[in-house]
Amino acid sequence: MSAVKGSNWTVKVREKAVGALPPDKLLPDGVPAYVSSWIYVFGVLSIAALVVIIGSGTILALKGPGWWHFTGVGHFFNSIHMWSVEVFFFVMVVHLWGKFWMASWRGGRTRVWVTGAITFLVAVPCALTGYVSQQNFDAQWISTQAKDAMNAVGIGSFFNLTNFGQMYSWHIYLLPLAVVALVGAHVLLVRTHGVVPPFELPTDKSTAPATNGQTDVREVAEITPAEIKTSTTQGAQS
Amino acid sequence: MAAIFNLNHPAHTVHWHFFTMSVSNLIVIILMLIVFALAIAIPFPRHGGAEGGTTS
Repeated sequence: MSAVKGSNWTVKVREKAVGALPPDKLLPDGVPAYVSSWIYVFGVLSIAALVVIIGSGTILALKGPGWWHFTGVGHFFNSIHMWSVEVFFFVMVVHLWGKFWMASWRGGRTRVWVTGAITFLVAVPCALTGYVSQQNFDAQWISTQAKDAMNAVGIGSFFNLTNFGQMYSWHIYLLPLAVVALVGAHVLLVRTHGVVPPFELPTDKSTAPATNGQTDVREVAEITPAEIKTSTTQGAQS
Repeated sequence: MAAIFNLNHPAHTVHWHFFTMSVSNLIVIILMLIVFALAIAIPFPRHGGAEGGTTS
């Protein structure tokens, strides 16, 4: 490998990627002790809901509207798809609130916060276009009502809610692709920068994490064996 | 859901000055606030054998 180093773009990309995110940071075997709080669980819950959304949506797309409207199993997967979106937004909002109040952009995590915020903004039209993709009277009613909002802001000519083909393409391809890509970038950035620590408590400075939002930057000699033992939990919450 | 709740009527809404929201949306927002508070208040379960730290 060293013979082609510098002349091969794949080598450069690999070295840059491994340098930015070594395997032990990409797939860690432990998380910081401060992650042991329920508020840190809602990020991975959002991803779990997104997986169910993509899975149920894929089945619906393969089977078609005659299946999801007129069969029992189709109704079931239609409901799974709708309720998983409800869960997705529910837990994503709690995740957003938690990260906002712990100022999770601290410690050089601006891009982590921004990708998360943009994911939320892109996920909203991704879900709303599902309402007009149902292929029933409900979809027709919603599209004729909502088109006025698009026209009012001047984008109705190229984002036409009464154009089923266009809305269906946005709903099952373009916007989900953007959401999944943004979530992927968001998770990789979390892995790169680490999970944001809580604010330092003024009464317990000896064991609190760093105040500038960096993960634990104390010298190894300062960390007690008990802390080392307790700071490596199994799993990967974010 | 229709078997549990009677949905054969226009949505109920809450009006307060300029504020207008459907009751269903208001319930979801209140539930999110409750879950958010519980997520902060309820201690995270620990594995056995932890000493001196917050988790293991």
